[in-house]
Amino acid sequence: MQMNIVKDGKIPPLWHYGHEEHDVIGAKTFGFWLYMLSDALLFAGLFAAYGVLDHTMNAAGGPTESQVVHPIAATWQTFAVLSSVFAYSLATVALKRGNRAGVVLGMLAAIGLGVVFLGLELADFASLFHAGATPFTSGFLSAFFVLIASHGLHMVFGLLWMLVMLVQVLRFGFSTAVVAQLLNLRLFWQFQASVWVCVYVFVYLKGTI
Amino acid sequence: MLVHVPGPWSPLFGRLTLDSIPYSNPIIIFAFAFSVIAGLLVLVPVVYYRKIGYLFREWLTTVDHKKIGIIYILLGLVMMFRGFVDGMMIRTQQVMADGPHSGGVLGAAHGYLPPEHFDQIYSSHGTLMIIFAVTPILTGLGNIIVPLQIGARDMAFPMMNAISLWLTTVGAMLVMASLFIGDFSTAGWVGLAPLTEVSYSPSVGVDYWLWAIQISSIGTTLNSINMIATIVGMRAPGMRWDRLPIFTWTTLSTNIIGLTSFPILGVALALLGADRYLGTHFFTAGLGGDLMLYTNLFWIWGHPEVYFLVLPAFGIISEVIPTFAEKPLFGYITMVAATFAIAGISWLVWLHHFFTMGAGPYVNTFFSVATMLVGIPTGVKVFNWVFTLYRGRLTFTAPMLWAVGALFLLLIGGVTGMMLAIPAVNYTVHNSVFVIAHFHCMVLLIAYSIFAATGYWFPKVFGFRLDERSGKAFFYTFSLGTAVLFIAMFALGFMGETRRLDYLYNTQWMPALVVEEIGIGFYTLSCYYFAKMLYVSIRDRVKNRVGADAWGTSRTLEWLTHSPVPFYNFAVTPQVNTRDELSWRYANKVADVQPDHFEAFHMPNNTVVPLLIGILGFGFGFGMVWRIWWMAGFSLLAIIAVVIYRSFARDKGYILTAEALAKLESANKPLGVVAETQYLSESNTSHMAEAEAH
Amino acid sequence: MIPSRHRRITLFSRPLLFLSALLLSGCSTVSYRLFHPADSIASVEWHYTIVDVVVMLLITLPITFMIALFMWRYSKKRNAAYDPNWSHSLGLELLMWGVPFIVVVVLGYYSYQSAMLVNPYAPTVLKSAEADAPLQVDVVTTDWQWVFIYPQQGIATIDDLVVPQGRAVNLRLTSTSVVNDFFIPQVAPMIDVMPGMRTKDAFEVNHAGNYEGYSADFSGAGFSWMQFSTRIVSPVDFDAWVKQTQASPAKLGYAQFRQLAQPTVNVGAKPAYFSGVDADLFNQVYNAALHGTVYPVPAEVPIPVPAKTAAAQAGSAHS
Repeated sequence: MQMNIVKDGKIPPLWHYGHEEHDVIGAKTFGFWLYMLSDALLFAGLFAAYGVLDHTMNAAGGPTESQVVHPIAATWQTFAVLSSVFAYSLATVALKRGNRAGVVLGMLAAIGLGVVFLGLELADFASLFHAGATPFTSGFLSAFFVLIASHGLHMVFGLLWMLVMLVQVLRFGFSTAVVAQLLNLRLFWQFQASVWVCVYVFVYLKGTI
Repeated sequence: MLVHVPGPWSPLFGRLTLDSIPYSNPIIIFAFAFSVIAGLLVLVPVVYYRKIGYLFREWLTTVDHKKIGIIYILLGLVMMFRGFVDGMMIRTQQVMADGPHSGGVLGAAHGYLPPEHFDQIYSSHGTLMIIFAVTPILTGLGNIIVPLQIGARDMAFPMMNAISLWLTTVGAMLVMASLFIGDFSTAGWVGLAPLTEVSYSPSVGVDYWLWAIQISSIGTTLNSINMIATIVGMRAPGMRWDRLPIFTWTTLSTNIIGLTSFPILGVALALLGADRYLGTHFFTAGLGGDLMLYTNLFWIWGHPEVYFLVLPAFGIISEVIPTFAEKPLFGYITMVAATFAIAGISWLVWLHHFFTMGAGPYVNTFFSVATMLVGIPTGVKVFNWVFTLYRGRLTFTAPMLWAVGALFLLLIGGVTGMMLAIPAVNYTVHNSVFVIAHFHCMVLLIAYSIFAATGYWFPKVFGFRLDERSGKAFFYTFSLGTAVLFIAMFALGFMGETRRLDYLYNTQWMPALVVEEIGIGFYTLSCYYFAKMLYVSIRDRVKNRVGADAWGTSRTLEWLTHSPVPFYNFAVTPQVNTRDELSWRYANKVADVQPDHFEAFHMPNNTVVPLLIGILGFGFGFGMVWRIWWMAGFSLLAIIAVVIYRSFARDKGYILTAEALAKLESANKPLGVVAETQYLSESNTSHMAEAEAH
Repeated sequence: MIPSRHRRITLFSRPLLFLSALLLSGCSTVSYRLFHPADSIASVEWHYTIVDVVVMLLITLPITFMIALFMWRYSKKRNAAYDPNWSHSLGLELLMWGVPFIVVVVLGYYSYQSAMLVNPYAPTVLKSAEADAPLQVDVVTTDWQWVFIYPQQGIATIDDLVVPQGRAVNLRLTSTSVVNDFFIPQVAPMIDVMPGMRTKDAFEVNHAGNYEGYSADFSGAGFSWMQFSTRIVSPVDFDAWVKQTQASPAKLGYAQFRQLAQPTVNVGAKPAYFSGVDADLFNQVYNAALHGTVYPVPAEVPIPVPAKTAAAQAGSAHS
């Protein structure tokens, strides 16, 4: 069916001349969405491990979920991470207007709030360690700490990335490469916030019930 | 915090001591000498002919998808050879160590390998063949062929492509290092939990296995991102979804599987790593660990991984058979639907790897039926190929023989797979060599497709065909080996021989074991013909030179450009008008119509960054394996620093001008992967201005 | 004793068995253990193996024939009919989705049926034949031996499973260290033996006989030597054997078990017998694993070279 000889003898064009416009930002954003899909699967694996190990039996006589979650402190963390995303969104609005100072300020605020989030998390970990609940106590606590620390590690990388972008915005302005990265960073940051919301719901809130 | 491991440890060298080098083992000394000689055979000519600079500029720092693909395939072939030697050693040990009266040499009670050594070999055989032979070769084929099939100049992210390559290479190098420094895992390529825990495997073996797979699978994930982005975003004008060649379709589906399943493996290995390094309790038997969690996570990746490998193989068969049947593929849409059906179902079947876990009959039945469902689209594919043969005009070149041979393996693998899918049957053959024979049929199907693809696309990449005579001898000896070895292995499965035995207590198995060894002999002979095929082909390369379409009956876009493919793939991007574009051009007698003028386009520069990341990645892996914390830490920080540094570099690539292009195209010499530098230098380099930012 | 369904099974299997024997180059099939199942469970498994192969051959044999025929018929040199445009046929495409679908429906039904019949936890095939209370045996794997505990009789053995004929045997299984896989090819379905977890298995054999069992899942350096003998004896002989073992001087509490569970390669599956066995030993082992007990593994386990006499016995243990 597809082998048809062109009937009227008019052969359609065989070569595509001219410069194909490559949408650099579009390609990079699509690639980054794919990366985030894999990152989502990574967290899915971690959540699955947490779900499996979140049983009294896996606590092996050590503290159980309700004894280690601090939902109030986690609420403050949630505020911190969501405000950080909001600050970054303000930076994106400034980016649309080409306002360099706005972008820098927004990102500084996002970094500050991200640091607050990590500080709260470390404080929470420290208090748990102090109380003798460590990842080495039981299978459940291993899953608890590793799940939350994996998210924390992503946050650290996000902050590092923001610092790099801060320098690049100041140095290169809004070049294609910089804008593509700023947009991907926004995706990354929002994604980490949504992962945290999952952590908040499935670990902290569920743990209090 | 850190797990205490037995044995000495120093801050400078970690667990590494002089005793870590097994210099007292004659087998390893021989393997080392062999590797050194093989390495020198490559290195000495390179140095002698002063090609180090060329090697570095054109290959080690390349971002060209074809060269990256070639390196992937070379890496895979070398690893496949090592995996084959491992297989040969396994078979020889078993035939020597059958029965309580069998003698032992080289310090073994039976045969010539003590259990610790044998267990490393069977583990590395699986790891090498699956992760470091078949995966890189298929990735390399996808790398080379997919951009050509869709009419693209390169992959979506050329530098990331090179990073993927070097990360995969790092994994392979770690497995190689384990041969000569320390030991390899004894817990199988699947990493049987809790045998992989420090209590039961305190040496560095499991760490080698863990980091080799972990690092290379990061490379595979990045490659999947790249492939999907390329296929979705880089298609030539007119290459609609319903015109996409089947190999590209299968590569797309396979990389969707890769992208979504490798993170799960990453989690499984990371949690195991946390157990081994930090002392958590994910997969320990006690203290709240759950060893079946590992098994589930591993196979949630592991089963999609099987289809990750087999789908491109199906794609290759779907390209080779139509070319040599001189007919379009029967049922294109059905084929694409079947491909994605297999990809989808592959997520629902992982539990069939452990029906014997003790799950209830309903759970087992669910996974049993889900597993059988895979048989439907697979059966459809077989029918498609059969009806493509019907009323064709078949030429049995070596690639065609491999492709048709793969069909027979698929049928045997299918029948035995359906047996294993039934729990009641599975209870009698699970973990026996019957399973080994079954999945070797499937993996050999992939190997057959790989050899089909190698012969089929070799002229596209290098400009001359492989020698048919020795190529067919290779096929027949290899197939004889396959038939002899695996029929005997199926028989042994019915006799009740279980897998991974380094000593066999039952003397009744002896005849079948000897038959298996004869099969190994045929395989060894086929290695000779493979080498001969390469030698004769390169010797007679002028005689075997081909034009754009090496076979005269090819159908897809990659055969439209020169053979070998120039570094820019297509001088002018083709406009795609139909499915099987080249056949259509033949039918309309326009296949020879060349572009009437050229226009400038943008090309990426080579870069040393990916290689650097690879070297640092090896430093990280090696440091982690031996617990040399400074080395691992430095390497990791350096990788981050390199990535940040690179993000500041404003490397925009260069513009290949119309004039330079015209000169390159009119040069009456083969252009392409092998000869890039000289043609670049012949063309006027002043034409290559720095590209501007957008 | 055998339900009628299974008589039909043997009627069905026998000619096929003969055929397989012929196909396998006329060799004696004695060494093909799976071809010679011992009663109920293994017979069902073997029956469904044959059913599955037959159903699959119904579809794969014609395809194989078609490939071979087309390869011959449409070879270029034969100059047969050539249709370069034929690449689609709705009817054929429906057929090629339909036929495998029907095969899967049929085999899926058989899969469900057989999964119920030989479900290791509660095989329905045994229920109809069931009259006496089943014999309870607890199975514990160590690195690398099998410990069979008879809690009701207060005895235990190493690498020697003795059960009476015509009586269902219920097994509980757990491991001290790593995962093993319990398997007696002609008698009992494979089941994983895991540390800190308990699995179950069941079987029943109506005729006396000796069978070989072993671990099927790799468990470390001594794995290749993890065989045990399975002796199906008459009830009278079984009672006599129990009495004899109850008189055995060696005792087995958890303290002695800890010694026993040190990594040992039992070359030639040399049995040992214990009396005065703690009825709760199985649970003690299980709980110990849950609490993280590790029976230390030496870096290298020497594999003793067997003496000629012991080796000869081991060689003739299966029959």
